[in-house]
Parts: sequence; C-alpha cells; structure tokens
Amino acid sequence: MRDTLRRLLRQRKAAVGGTLLLGFLLVALVGPWFVMDPTELMGQPHQPPSSAHWFGTTGQGQDVLAQTVVGARETLAIGFAVGALVTLVGALVGITAGYLGRRVDDALTLTTNIFLVIPGLPLAIVLGAYLPSGPFRMVVVLTFAGWAWNARVFRAEALSLRGRDFVAAAVVAGESHLRIITRELLPNMASLVASSFIGNTLYAVGAQVGLEFLGLGDVGSVTWGTNLYWAGNDAALLTRSWWIFVPTGICIALVGFSLTLLSSAIDELTNPSLRAPPKAPSAAVVHAVASPEQEAATPGALLSVRELSIEYMTQAGPSRVVDQVSLDIAPGEVFGLAGESGSGKSTLGSALLRLLPSSAAITHGRILFDGTDVTALSPEALRAFRWSRVSMVFQSAMSALNPVLTLGEQFHDTLAAHGGNSRASSYARARELLSMVGLKPELVDAWPHQLSGGMRQRVGIALALALEPRLVVMDEPTTALDVVVQKELLQRVVELKERLGFAVLFITHDLPLLLALADRVGILQAGKLVEVDTAQRLRTDARHPYTRLLLSSFPHLGAADAPTPSPDVLEQATSALKPPLAASPGGRR
Amino acid sequence: MRYVLRRLGFYLLAAWASLTMNFVIPRLAPGDPATAMFARFEGRISPEALVALKTAFGFTDAPWHVQYFTYLKHLLTGDLGLSYAYYPSPVSEVIGTGLLWTLGLAGCAVIISFAVGTMLGVLAAWNRGGWLDSALAPALAFLGAFPYFWLAMLALYLFGFGLGWFPLRHAYSHDVEPGATLTFLADVGRHAVLPATSIVVATLGGWMLSMRNTMVAVLGTDTLRLAHAKGLPPRQVMLRYAARNALLPNVTGFGMALGFVLSGSLLTEIVFSYPGTGYLLILAVRNQDYPLMQGLFLVITLAVLAANFAVDLLCLWLDPRTRAHA
Repeated sequence: MRDTLRRLLRQRKAAVGGTLLLGFLLVALVGPWFVMDPTELMGQPHQPPSSAHWFGTTGQGQDVLAQTVVGARETLAIGFAVGALVTLVGALVGITAGYLGRRVDDALTLTTNIFLVIPGLPLAIVLGAYLPSGPFRMVVVLTFAGWAWNARVFRAEALSLRGRDFVAAAVVAGESHLRIITRELLPNMASLVASSFIGNTLYAVGAQVGLEFLGLGDVGSVTWGTNLYWAGNDAALLTRSWWIFVPTGICIALVGFSLTLLSSAIDELTNPSLRAPPKAPSAAVVHAVASPEQEAATPGALLSVRELSIEYMTQAGPSRVVDQVSLDIAPGEVFGLAGESGSGKSTLGSALLRLLPSSAAITHGRILFDGTDVTALSPEALRAFRWSRVSMVFQSAMSALNPVLTLGEQFHDTLAAHGGNSRASSYARARELLSMVGLKPELVDAWPHQLSGGMRQRVGIALALALEPRLVVMDEPTTALDVVVQKELLQRVVELKERLGFAVLFITHDLPLLLALADRVGILQAGKLVEVDTAQRLRTDARHPYTRLLLSSFPHLGAADAPTPSPDVLEQATSALKPPLAASPGGRR
Repeated sequence: MRYVLRRLGFYLLAAWASLTMNFVIPRLAPGDPATAMFARFEGRISPEALVALKTAFGFTDAPWHVQYFTYLKHLLTGDLGLSYAYYPSPVSEVIGTGLLWTLGLAGCAVIISFAVGTMLGVLAAWNRGGWLDSALAPALAFLGAFPYFWLAMLALYLFGFGLGWFPLRHAYSHDVEPGATLTFLADVGRHAVLPATSIVVATLGGWMLSMRNTMVAVLGTDTLRLAHAKGLPPRQVMLRYAARNALLPNVTGFGMALGFVLSGSLLTEIVFSYPGTGYLLILAVRNQDYPLMQGLFLVITLAVLAANFAVDLLCLWLDPRTRAHA
C-alpha cells in the first residue's frame, strides 16, 4: 500500500493533480478569513477588476474574489461528502450483489441498471424540488441520482474476487459474510475505492454546480454554483461583465481537471498498458549493425539468420532476449525451435516478419530470406514481404481472428492486400483453402465465434497458406488445443507440407513433439542457440547439458525412438507429450 | 430476437420504475408539497375547480393504490396534467415542441461529438505519444472539466455579445416564418451553432479518451498482430481491425453516457434561452410548476430509454457475437 502511494507520487499526473487539489482545499479551509464578506454589498455593481476589488464586483455590488474563495468551501465540502457517500452506497450495493450472487444479485443488478439508464439531472430535479432546501438536500439528491454507476463497477470487482482462492478458502473456513466482505474483499479493492471516490467527487461537484445554476440549491448561500446562478440572473453577459462568471468557472474546471488527473494516474498504475511504452533503442530499428562476414547467406538456404540480437526496453534498462543467434532453414525443411517460456523463441519467430512489439528492436545481425535482407526493408516493402514470403500461425488463432468479420472477409483482406483480387475470386480461393485444411467450404460465411478452437486453428493454417509462402512460422500452434485435436492438426500440417513444399519454423516447448516432427531442431536457452542438430542425432546423442536436461524431463521419450517424422510417429509423440504438458509451467502463457 | 425482446422488457421495466418514482416522490416528500402546490392556485380559481383540479392531478383522498391506477390511466392516455406556469395548458402540449428542439440540438451535438471524438481517439491510440495523444487529449480533458453551461456562457459572451457572429438567444429569429423553407432552416442552423458547439467541445474529450483507451487495449491483441503479419495496409488495420473492435465497448458506453450528456445539454439550453425541454425545466423549477417538472422528467427519461434501445440495436448490428445470441 505504501509502495503504491510512493509510485503514485512519482507520477507527474498525480503530482500535478494532487498539488492543484491540495491548493484548492487550502483556499477553501483558510481563504474565507482573508477576504471580504461575500454577501455584503461593497460598492457599485458590475465594476471591472480594480485595486479595491481584484476580481471586480457582481451585479449587486458584492466582491467577486470573496465569492469565489468562500464558494470553494461549501462546494468542495458537499463534493467530497457526496463523493464519499456515493462510493459507500455503490460499494455496499455492488459488493453485496457480487458476493451473495443469485437472487440478491439479480434484484440488485436490475435496480442498478434501471438507475443507470434514468437520466440523472431530471431525476435530481424532481427529487430536489420536493425536499426542503439546504446542503442536506443537495447531498441526498446527488447520492440518489448517482450511486448506480459505482454499484456496477464494484459488483464486477467483487464477482472476480469472489472466484479467487483466498476468498474461497475463507468461505470454507466458515467465516461470516460480513467478515469476508470487510476483511478479504475490501482491502483488495483499495485502488478501486480510491479511484471511485475521486470519480464520484468529480461527478458531485459538476452535478451540484448544475443544480445550483438551475436555482435548485440554496440561493442564499455562497457556492460556485450559486455564483453562476446569480451571474445569469444579474445579466452578467448582457452587461459584458465577464469577471463575474469567469473566475468561478475556471476554479470548477481546475478542481475537475485535478480530479481527472488523479483518477487517470490511478488507472495507469493499475493498468500499466495505458501508459506510453518505453521506446525501443531506435538506432537499430531501420538497419541493423552488421559486420561484413555476416552478410553472406548460406548458399541454397531459404532463410539465413545471422548473429541476430533482439533487445527489449524495460524499466530497468535494455534486456537482451535473443542473443547472437545464427541459423539456416533449407527450402521445404521443418526446423524445430525448442526452449522454455522466456527463452526468446517466440520473439525470434516474430522477428522473421519484423513483428516485434514497439518496445523491442533488432539491435544486431541480419535476417536474410531468399535474397532479401528482411532487417533492411522499408515499411511498404516489409508490408509486401509479410505473408507473401513468410506467414505465421499463432498459438492463439482462436483470438487472433477478427471477431467482427466473416472468415471470407478476412481471407479477402489478406489476398487483396497482396495484389487485389476481386471479392468473388477471394471467396473462391478461401473455400479452396478451407477444404484443404479439412473444413467445410461453406464456413467462408461464418464468424470466428461460431467455430471451435480446433477449427479456428485450422482456419489460421489455411490463412497462412493463402499466398503460398515459402516459409510458415508456427508459434506453438497446438499448445492451446486438446491432444486429439493436436494430433489431427499436425497430421494435416505434415500432409500439406509434403504437397505444397513450404518450409516450417516450428516453435514449441515440447521437445518430444519436435523430435518427431522436425528435420532439424535448435535448442534455445536464455536467448542463445545452444545446440542445433538433426532430430535423429539429438534424440540419441545430445551434446549440450541443457539439451540433455530438457530431454530427461520427458520420461516417455525413450519409447518414441523412431527415425523420420511420419504420421504414425506423430501419434506416439503426441500421446507421449500428454503428462509433461500438464506438468510444464503454464505453457507459453 | 430473444435478445431484442429481453432488452425491450428491461426498458419497459425501467420506464415503469421511473413512472412509479414520479408517483411516489411527491407523496413521500415531507411538508405535503402537493397541498403547497395547490395553495398557489387558490384565489385564481374557485374552490370547486380546485377540488376538480386535485382530482385531475390524481391527488385525492382515495387510498394510494387507487390513486396510482388513476395516475397510470392518465399517463397511458397521454395526460400529464395541467401546467401551472402555462395554466391552463396541458403539460403534454407545453412539452411537445420543446422536446423536438431538444432532440434536434442535443441529438446532433452528441452524434457529431461522438463521431469526431471517437475518430480522434483512434488516431491518438494509433500514433501513441504523438501530438494528438500528448497535447490535444489533455487539452480536451481540461475543456471537459468546465461545466457545459459555463462553456456555453463563454461562447455566448465571446461570439454572441463580443463579436456578434451568432444570434444571442432562441432557436430561430422572430421575423422568419417557421416552415420547410431554406431561409428558416438556415436560420435554425445559425442559432444552433453556438449551443451545439459548446456541447461538442465539452464532451469531445470524454469520447476521445475512452476510445483511445479501448483502442490501446485492442492494439495489444493477437488480432492486431495477425493483421500486421498479413501485411494489410496500415489504414485498413487501423480502421477495420482495431477501431472496428474498439468501437463495440465504446458504443455501449455511449448509451450509458447519453443521460448524462443530455442533462448537460439541458443546462446549455438555458444559457441560450433555447426553447427546448431544458428551458422548460428551469421555468418549471422557478415557478414551482410540479406537473410540468414531473412531465419533463418522464418525457426526458422515456426519450433516453428509447435512445438506449436504439444503441442496443446498433450494437447488435455491429457485433456478430451478440447477434448470435439474439
């Protein structure tokens, strides 16, 4: 908690917002003792700023500065009171609904949703019109009209915490509901409570000013809203007396802005992806540094990676994920890349299409593909290169397909981006590709959510083959699938490879699978390629200790002692990989 | 279809809830405001007429449930009672034209603001850290911190009173004959520029920020990685793959913010004496015209519910996943 606070203070947004807000609080607290009486008629009405009245006078001759300063007090007091009350009511309703669930949840959620769609201002007006005037009325009205949004947010949070282990444990231990809510749930919602409180105060100040401007506040008291109400009533615009309404408006905006800054600082703290990412080392993005001897590609190789290094920019400084890797892939070859999570294998695969996130960059080395230096391609040349020469199958084809486009549209986009087919011919090609991977061609009109995980992964493969690339990068294409589906899919890949003759870079943490599938296998450890050899030799004669360690962690491997990859070996390999898969630490995330 | 019916059922329930609140609030309020309200009629009309009027408003000595059903019956026939401020005009008549002006002004402003703000959000997320993202977004957020009606006052002061570019009040000039003529429409447009612009300026930042944040989240997904990997043209990736997916949660948010934005635009109307429901609302508040106030609450609420339903249908059209469950 203290650490959170410290990180918050280090942020510029939080610092600016906090300072502004504290300044206004100070003014509200002690300011009124230093200014004139805001209600007394001090002089001529509608006087512009002068040495006697720094902010001028109102339409009735009161001091505008005094009104602005004194107005801060009640405005902020009501703002914070309503902010706290709305947070409390919202949290209470939301947590009760999310925690108790079932009928209670149904009823509370329905009520919440109804209050959410009923517009707040008219409701507040109807309620306010019937209640006796005073600050109490404002608090009741604003809380009644504004609690629902919070309840919704807190319900969602309670619902997600409800499923966590520590809450389940407390339930099993027989702790009371109240204790679980106050001891287990609330402390875990600290940042939500804080950001809700700020957001609600923001709402309260705005709504309060609006209602008072309408004349629904206590028009006798001095608040920012009544200041504006009187400005309107006393014809500030008609008499060109800008000084009557400008200071109050700016104060409201500054308080609102400071609250917005604070809440967005908290959001960024809990959701770091909203922050601007650290910039990657820029020098290498366009053209990697290379020594002359690494220029040459291996004759006959389809792909030659030469001394490739990739660095991520992290908060702690650059971190090298791929370290001086060199490898070759021949046309039609299946090259397996194995390694644990975090070994850099996926980063290496993405780099072949220069698909690195913006925080990563190639800092050294080259990628030479069939005579093209991929590291040196211009953005437009890179766009044309991608997918037509090297394509990719993602582990997450289930989430990689665009959920709002039919499969046909996604095939058409791909084909059209590389040479402009007509929609009709794209769809014909899509049907052909779908049947090639064993799917019904009619699925061309289906949406991704209508397909199972295995079917979507087949679509991913069909899509990867759409432009007949010479290399397909397969990044753990089967990890998210169950064993039977995995096997079918891999058989299909092997068949297609035989038929179409593309090369494959197959990335996985499942060494047994690779040994059965690949011609050659590279072992990646902490960004370094520690061993490259044929699958056959690795199985019997691994030299690097790390490779041997990896091999020994798969107990069933000795049984799968077959030579070249064929569908029946695949069967052995995929059935062999079942226990280690369960034991591996969460796959590739 | 089931989804549509369920949503419709929900809005009907919400409508019923607001009708009921409208009925309960005056009767629960301390100090018997109903009597206070009718006290204002005294001297203006005869005691018999007062009793008749009370009955007409549904305030009788009958038990609550009888009063409630009388109230519902009146509503179903479109009878919202009589306005005090415009006595003896019926409330429904007073609200009628006002609602049209409000829907026209707020509707146009909100749609323009949402469309422009969303597009700006898309561009800000796409060029993260660029000037749109680092300069325009905070500037708009600052503008969004001003109350709508205050921005309206400033706009009126600068461009109405100061520079004299735009008319100062009302929805059209008195010397222009209302009708489907080009002169009239141009006049209405000229009158709408300032109020609409102040609503747009006040709300733009909110739409931009929320679109920017959902876009940023979408940009990190595998859908976007695949789109880039396929070598699609950047503009297509930005619009058809990223923005199209980020739009869905934003349209839902749009529906939820409608009531809030409408509330702000009602206050804006007051600044410009724009003859919409906001202007009527302040008349009702100042004259303690409870029937008009309650009628406005109902009509505005029903309009917002209808708009929300329209947004639901729009989501349905945008998102094949919801459509599948519909």
